[in-house]
Parts: sequence; C-alpha cells; structure tokens
Amino acid sequence: METIHMRSDSKRERITHSVGVGGPMTLHTIDGVIRRVRPIVLTDDDPAGWVIKARGKEYTPQRKVTMSLLGYCERDKTYAYDRLKYPLIREDFVETPDGKNRNTENRGKSGYRRASWDEALSLVAREIKRLHKTYGKETITACTSSHHSWGLVGYKISLFKRFFSMMGYTRVADNPDSWEGFHWGTPHSYGYYWRLGGPEPYDMLEMAMQNVETMVCWSTDPDTTRGGYSAQESALWRWWLKEMGVQFIYVDPFNNYTSVKHADKWIGPRMGTDAAILEAIAYVWITEGTYDKEYIAQHGHRFEEFKNHILGLGPDGTPKTPKWAEELSLVPAMDIKAIARRWASTVTTSGSGMRGGFGGACRHSNGTEYARLMTLLSAMQGMGKPGRAYWSPACGGPMNYNFWFGGYSDPLSSIAGAPICDEVPINTVEQVLYRPNLPDAILDGHYEWLGEGFCGGGVDLEFTRHVYPLPGYNKVHCFWRYGGSFIGTMLDTNKWVKMYKSPELEFVINQDIYMTPETRHADVILPACTNLERIDIGEVGNSGNGGYCSHSQTGNSWQVIVYQDKAIEPMWDSRSDYWIFSQVAARLGWGERFTEGRTEEEWAKRFWQFSDLPKHISWEDFKKKGYYIPPVSYKEEDKDPKTGLYQNWDRYPGFQWFAENRPCDTMNHKVFQEECKLGTFSGKFEFVSESLLYWEPDDEARRPIPQYQDAWEGFKSLSADKYPYGLISPHPRFDYHTHYQQHAKWLWEIPKNRVIINGNPYLVCHVNPKVAEQKGIKDGDVIRMFNDRASVLLVARVSYRVNPETIHAYTSSGIYNPVNYGEIGSVDKGGSINLLTPGRLIGDYVPAMSPYNCNIDIEKAEPDPNYGQGFEHILDAVDKQQLETERPIRTSAEADLLFCEKAN
Amino acid sequence: MLKPGIKKPGIAINSARCMACYACFMACKDEHCGWDTALSKSQPELGQYWMNIVEWERGDNSRHIKTATVPTPCSHCEDPACMKAAKNGAVYKRPDGIVIVDPEKAKGQKQIVDACPVGAIYWNEEEQIPQKCTMCAELLDDPDYPGFEPRCVEACPNQALVFGDLADPDSEISKLIAANKVTQLECLGDMKSSVVHLNIPTAFLAGTVAYPKELEEVCIGAKVKVTCECGTVFETETNWAGDWEVEDLPRDKKFTVEITMDGFKPVKIETATGTGTHADHYVGITYLEQA
Repeated sequence: METIHMRSDSKRERITHSVGVGGPMTLHTIDGVIRRVRPIVLTDDDPAGWVIKARGKEYTPQRKVTMSLLGYCERDKTYAYDRLKYPLIREDFVETPDGKNRNTENRGKSGYRRASWDEALSLVAREIKRLHKTYGKETITACTSSHHSWGLVGYKISLFKRFFSMMGYTRVADNPDSWEGFHWGTPHSYGYYWRLGGPEPYDMLEMAMQNVETMVCWSTDPDTTRGGYSAQESALWRWWLKEMGVQFIYVDPFNNYTSVKHADKWIGPRMGTDAAILEAIAYVWITEGTYDKEYIAQHGHRFEEFKNHILGLGPDGTPKTPKWAEELSLVPAMDIKAIARRWASTVTTSGSGMRGGFGGACRHSNGTEYARLMTLLSAMQGMGKPGRAYWSPACGGPMNYNFWFGGYSDPLSSIAGAPICDEVPINTVEQVLYRPNLPDAILDGHYEWLGEGFCGGGVDLEFTRHVYPLPGYNKVHCFWRYGGSFIGTMLDTNKWVKMYKSPELEFVINQDIYMTPETRHADVILPACTNLERIDIGEVGNSGNGGYCSHSQTGNSWQVIVYQDKAIEPMWDSRSDYWIFSQVAARLGWGERFTEGRTEEEWAKRFWQFSDLPKHISWEDFKKKGYYIPPVSYKEEDKDPKTGLYQNWDRYPGFQWFAENRPCDTMNHKVFQEECKLGTFSGKFEFVSESLLYWEPDDEARRPIPQYQDAWEGFKSLSADKYPYGLISPHPRFDYHTHYQQHAKWLWEIPKNRVIINGNPYLVCHVNPKVAEQKGIKDGDVIRMFNDRASVLLVARVSYRVNPETIHAYTSSGIYNPVNYGEIGSVDKGGSINLLTPGRLIGDYVPAMSPYNCNIDIEKAEPDPNYGQGFEHILDAVDKQQLETERPIRTSAEADLLFCEKAN
Repeated sequence: MLKPGIKKPGIAINSARCMACYACFMACKDEHCGWDTALSKSQPELGQYWMNIVEWERGDNSRHIKTATVPTPCSHCEDPACMKAAKNGAVYKRPDGIVIVDPEKAKGQKQIVDACPVGAIYWNEEEQIPQKCTMCAELLDDPDYPGFEPRCVEACPNQALVFGDLADPDSEISKLIAANKVTQLECLGDMKSSVVHLNIPTAFLAGTVAYPKELEEVCIGAKVKVTCECGTVFETETNWAGDWEVEDLPRDKKFTVEITMDGFKPVKIETATGTGTHADHYVGITYLEQA
C-alpha cells in the first residue's frame, strides 16, 4: 500500500456500499481510490428496530450494522501486494499439441511471464477445444472455494455454475468440511438432513433472553465464528445474556476467545473425548433421575437400550461413569458431575459450534457420535420447551420471515437457474469427483467413495456409490481452479502440491484475485477483480431461505440487502469474473447464450425484481441509497406505542412445535413435520438409529447407539508414542477460510495471530507452560511442529488456555510458504498446519474430513534469518516485465493515479 | 462530525466489555494508513498501532484463566508530557482537549516519542516524525463527514468504546463513567485525560472447594473469607461448580483465605497476589476433611 498525499475532503467523496464475510460496508472513494471502509450507520429513513422484553428490561440493537475486523481490512486487501495484476503464463509452460512434456513438475516453482488478455484467453480456448476433442467434456474439472466473494451474481453457485454447466464438466462434490459430524451424524438421530444436520435457530435469542439460566457452549466460539458471516452482530446479544446473570459453560480443548471472556466454567477435554463426557453426563442424569422422563417417553425411540448402554448393561459392559470419562478426557469427574447437575437443575440451552450444529469437536473420527449425543442430550432435557433449546448464541435473532430476498444457496437465486436466467444450463457430464480426495483420484487414476457430499435430500444420499473414472468416461486432464486456496483448508495438503506436479493434469487454469498458494501451481493465471471493483447484489449473512442453512441472516440484528456498487474500476488488467467467463464463452462460440445479452447490473436487477424489494423500494432508489433494511414487521400496530420499537412480529420459536406436540410452524419445514414428526424413520429422537440399522448396521464409525470410541489417530494410537500432543485447529478468528491472511498485512500485527520475524509472518500456536518448560520454549520463540506428514514453523504463545496434552493453532492459514520452494514436503513457514492433518476420512461409510485427529510434537527451532515471503519475487519479476505488443486492454485511470503508472 | 455543543470530546474505554475483536484496531488503520489528513501524516502500513490493544492472560492455572484486554490509544492528557518535551509547539492541545502532533513542526523530534508514558506515540522512520491518535479530530471537525464518532468507536460492536461530551454530566459518556470504576492507566498517575479507562482488572484470587477427595464431588455453598494484609475483608461462597473467585483485589499483597463448611474442618490458606500482569492467582482445589 502506498501513501496518497491527499487531504481528506469529504465533499469529493463518493459513497457506495458492498458486503462481504466481514459484514456490510460503506465505502468512501476519492477520485477512484478507496478512502475508507465504514459500517452502515442507520438514518431516520431506516426502520425502527425490534425490542426484546426480558426480565424487566428492554433490549434493542444499536442503530448501526457491525463489521468484523475482516471488513475493516478490505482496503488493505484490495490494494494488496499480492494482487494479480496481469494475465500470467508459466514461463516454462510449453503448449505441446498432445498435452505431454509440459514441465508440470515445475509447477509451484516456476516463475511467470506477463501476457495480454487476448493471449491468455486464446490459449485457454485452444486448450479447451483440444481437450474436448481428445478426451471429451468430462476431462475438464473445476472447483471453487466458498465465500471468496459475496453477491448473488458472482457467487460460485451462480456465475461459476452457469459457465461450467453450460460447457459441461466433471463436477467436484464439496464435503461439509465445517460441520462433518453433524452432517453425517445427527440426521440419524433427529432428522434435519435438509438443514445438513443443524437445528432450527428461529427466534431463539428472545427465547433465551426470557428463559435461560445456563448456556452450554460446546466446541463453540461465537465471537470468532460470528454466525458464519454475520460480522459481529451477535456480540452484544451475548453480553446481554451474560450481564443478566446467565451462567456460561464452555467445553473446548482451547479456552477460546468467547470462553475466556464469558465462561463461568471452562473445561478442556483431551482431543476427541467429548462424546465420553456427554455419555458421563447422561449417566449422571439417568442414575439421579434428572432427565425429562415424560418427554423421552413421548418423543424418544428405543431409549431403554441407550440407558442400558450408559449404565453398563449393554454389550460392552462398561458403565459410562464420570470417572470413566475422566480417565479418557482428563476432565475431573467432579467437574463433569457439577456440569451435569447444573445442566439438569436449571433451564439450560445447549449447542455446538457457531449455529448449534457446527464446531470443531465434530470434525473428528468420533465426531458423528459427539454430534448425535449432543442432540440426544438436548432431547433428554426437553428440547423445545421454553429456554431448553438446541442453540448456540449466534443466530436466531428476530427476523421478518414475510420478506423474501434470496440467499446464495437458494435454488431461485442463481443466474444458473430460473427465474433469474432464461436458459437454464444443464451439465450433461455425470462423472463426479470428491473434493477431499481430488488429489488421490488424479494421482492414482482411480477412486471410489460413498455419498453425495452434501446430502440435503435425505440420508439415503449418504450411501450412494461413486467411482472415478465413471465407466465409459475419460479421466480428468485439466483443472480450472477458481477463487481462494484449498492449500490451507484441505487436509494433508502436501497431496495437493503432488497433484499439481502430475503430468496427468495437462493444463491448469487458475482464476483468482490473488497469488494464493494454489494460484502459483497453475499454467495460466486469469486475474479477477475484487467484489469492490464490480457490481453485484446480496444480503448480509443470507445463505438462503430454503437452502441448507436456511435463514442464517437471523445471525444479524438487522436484515440488510445491499446494492454492491462498483466502488472503483478494476485495477491493472484485472477483470470481473463475469467478464472473464463471458470472454471464454465467446471464444468457444456460445458467448451470447452465456450472457443472454445482460450486463452484471442487469443480472443484479433480476434479483431485485424476483424478490420482495420492488414492493418497498424502486430499483433507482435502491441503487442510490445502496441498501434496504426491511423492518421486522410491516404493521404499524406491532410497534410499542411508547418507544416506537417493534415489539410484535411473527415468531416461530425453533422446536417449540415439537415439544408442544403441534404441527410444525417454523420456516423451512417438511410436510411430515406437520404431523409433529421428526425426519427420522420413527419420527422421534432415535437413541438407537433405525436409519443406520437399515443402511449400514456394520458401520464402525457410527454405531446404532452413538458412543465414545478410541480415535484411529489420537492419544491411544501408536503414533502418540512419537507425537504425544493433540493438535486442535479450529476455524480462524483472524481470517475467513484462506481469504484474508496472506493479503491483508494489517492482520499480521495482531500478536495473537502472527508474529513477524525477519520479514516472515509466523502463525501463532498456544502451548501450555508445562510443555514449554519441558521443551525449553519461551513465549515468542519459533518452534517446529511436526509429524510423519509434515513440518510447519510457528511462533509459540505460552498459555494456560490449553492443557498440557493439547496444542492450539488455527486452521486455514492462507499462507503456505515452503522453505524450499516448489518441493513436496518441504518445511512450511507460512503456518499451513493442514499439512500436518490426516487425509484419512472419518470412516469407511463416513466420507468426512477429520482434522482433529492429529498427533504432533514440537521443538524449538532456529529459523534461517533469510526466510522472507516466498511468492513476492514472482510478482516482482512480473511487474518488471513489459509487454512487447501494446496492451490491448486499458488500465483504468484511477489505477494509474494510485500506482503512478503512465496513462496510455 | 462533532455534534454541535460538544465542548470536551472524550472516549470512555470499558475493558469489561472488550472482546479484543480488533475491529477498532483495523478501523484505525483503515482511516490513517496510506492517507494524509488535515492533522496527521499517513500511518505506515505496518509498525504503528494508534489504537493498540494491550492484552494479557490472567491466572496461573488452566482451571481459572481470563484475559485482560485494554484498547490503548493516546490518552489525550490534560497536561501532556509530550507537549512539554516538544520544541516549537510541535505538540499542541486544542481548546477541546484533543492533543495533536503537528507533522511539520515535529520533524526530527524523537524525544516526543520517548516522553509519552503510555507508549502511544510512534516514530515514523521514513518521515522522521512522531505520530499518534488524533481522536479522528479531522473527521469530527469536518461538517460534511457523515459519521459522528471517531472510527474506533464507530467500529466497536460491544459498546466497549463510547464517545461523547465529558463536559456534559448528562451525556451518555459521563453517565457511563459515573456508573463504572475509573481505572486510569497506572503510568499516568493522577493525570486527567480525555480518554477514560474503565474496569481494567487488577488481581483475582480464586479456587475450588471439594469434599474429601475420594467422593469426587465439588462443594457448593462453602463460605470463603479473603482477608488482605491491609485489613480489607472480602467474602464470597463457592458456586455450583465448587469455584470461588474474588476480583479487583490490590496487587502485590498477602492474603489469608478461610474456607468454612458446616460439618467439615475449616481451612486456612496463606497466599498472595502478584505484580503487574502476574497478579492473579488460583490457589488450587481445597479438599475438605470431616470435622
């Protein structure tokens, strides 16, 4: 970032709006350069807020919409040093006519030469035609990260899907990497497969504020995960609960950022033993008779067998006593008993992870069982009765359910679907790949797995059989990678590096905004612009009303639909993803079909048109104002006459219908719920799962009765002799997937995030003082964290926030910088700790990632003082290159101004 | 924009509400990095923290750990040490109390950085100037700027930072200050300032009480009396988890902890609080014995 010696003069400032995972933004620009990024501060034109009346007080949200730190980094990120400025072609890439001998082993090591758009796009089009002719459409595969951009036009399920469905390609099925155990587990205990295992959050905030005495936050760090993408909207809610005297119990091997501030009791179990503690809590309730017997009699299925299992009367003969759980988890039995009794004797709400059905504990080989036990224990205390909810304090704010605007996973909210587009493209290629094992499939040429990745259509979809290559199909020889980096988020990441070096991949395209760890393994790089340099439309935190995490915008205090205006022109030669895909489509001969003659703004307008917005605001006014906030009710009589705040709105508290035995009235429900049934085979809480007995009674990872099992990599496995510590790697507080950390340098200055030593920003890990002393490590020392899979250099923070058996470092580092550039297995100084995590799936029948099964050791390290940033030299070299021909595309005048280039 | 009539703009910083979410830190960088303003030169991209978050871990045992998080910008002192150290009026105090370093006049005056007891002034090596928080006065002065608060305050989701008129006893900020414990930064001594810190923690003593070990049961409702060598007595009892805690104790003092429970022998523990960021202490699990 270069200094602009210009005085702030607000008269010249242009104000536009946008939205990202850090929240909605008000952008001030001066002469085409972003000056500042502010939150949306509500004016008198915006509606009155809601008021929750609880325990003699009234609570209403602030009249501003919060942003998380990531939102405030957007300017740093937009003008980042690692932006891709020009189309690039790998310098030793040879366009051989047969796709062989292309120096693929140098991917990740080679530099790049600058190309014109015409050269890069022509090469891409020629290669696609060659590949199609040689192998067929299925030979091209493509996949995307989640949430590297926001907006219904540009999001992956919209634009990317439109392009690739129209072209035909081998699709890569996503796995639910953030909530594996809930997705593959809880549908067998209480249904909700259509919510991918998560509970109903509806109106839970008010319910909690009026009733709850105790919150059990298991594997939950809401101040860090922020309801997914709801900025810091719920931060104040948790203070309200805390300050009214609600007792908070946090269970997490890392005393996380919310816990360390809010917990009245924190326990940190040994990695992978959460299920044992839950079984012991059930033991206390059963032996002391403190569970809701009437509720279970009515709503529980085969509870007696579960009860016998807990009491030691089942096949294993082991009573699941607190002492038994203590030996596994190292949490004192007296603490487990105290928590069990507090939970049962007060009005308690419990939940896991950011939305009640997430959390790191479920990303473990025992994670499905943990998730199922969380669900069943909530049922044992009368799930759905006032204050006895299944909820984490991050979603479930009041919302106007009668106002419709689509979210990103809504089938109706995509330019790849009706009614937004006229021609709905259908991908005719049936061959599929599975993301966690994409490298295995490419490297081995054969891969088999179960399940559809996201199984929102029913539990039977967990058991569909897949084989790659599909008989009659050719293998994949081209990979088009779009947006963000999986090196950093996918496990055993070295295998991604291996894959890129394979000659099996004849051609690799990477379309991204930044030089990410994956970008620099491509043959051709297509530079996209950021969200702030193009037009889009989107609602803050809305994943869809009818999608898989339906009504996630209840994580906000305000519903905010934003016209994502272009704040600045695309910088350098970067272009919008829409422009890039349109250009390729045109070169392939179907450009008109792809665009339907629409500009990005015209597409954005379609989403306005097919929503409830036109009833309340014209397109012109919406564009001018930049956002629209629907009130929680449109009825004047719903306002409190005294304060003018909305005291009434349509409320449908989650799960209350079930506890009260009435037809389901919550949003996003299934027809059978109207008969007061759950989505299990029996329609009840299944303490013995009928669906597992039917589909896979021999599944070793998921038993019919959910229960603790020793991990295939954990404290009892053989590797623990060599690598005695368990690594906990939760979703990061200072990043979102891999999308910020490498680009926004400001984040490196947070001492709990990174420490810059000799120019390299080392990621922080937390080490217990006892371990640090044994290893001779002081706070701030560089350490090597290692196992058989990899070595990563980190900086130690010596801290009591982990117990001695656990070491904490955040996942999805965003930076991957092997010391020996381009070498598989080289020591990483970027903090990409997923090099260390296992590639193995949770179980034979559970095709899920399992980062919490990770045994490691650490030692003090002396890093070479010459370690710098590994990728800068590539970009620096490109910056010095001149194009021989005239640049075919103009560089915007604004960018010239900022970067002191000569205007054309 | 400074609301009309604000005589003494100030920021109250309530540490009890701060989650160290770093929104204020980033908003400050967003405002001041890369752009000169009417009152300050651009802050370098790295190396200066005009809104610094001071954080330390509280406690010496994993059974009882908290963190203290103290957003620490320039305090805008009533009688600023930096102003005294500056030559040619390079640091000046505006009539409204905001302290400004003049980037032109302050050139080469590194002693201004050294004079600040808080460490809130940073040296810009390239420009050879001292730099610090302006309370976003250049925005507050600007009638066309659409915001009403300094950037850090606007960014705070927790209402841990509150901006307003210190001269008006009925303002939100004055009421907040009146209702909370004012904890001026120790390094400032008795100095008054326009940034007012609230509820910065001092020291806790904590522990757990349990019945005889073999029972594996926490003891709820045990009486805990904590007596300071200075004579002050604090009384509490163990909660549902068997835990007790006494907060806001003086640092570096000896204490006697007396635990009593009907039917069990009373227990007396001699202990102490430490200094600085090592002040907090967990005395351990106390197992009661039958009387």
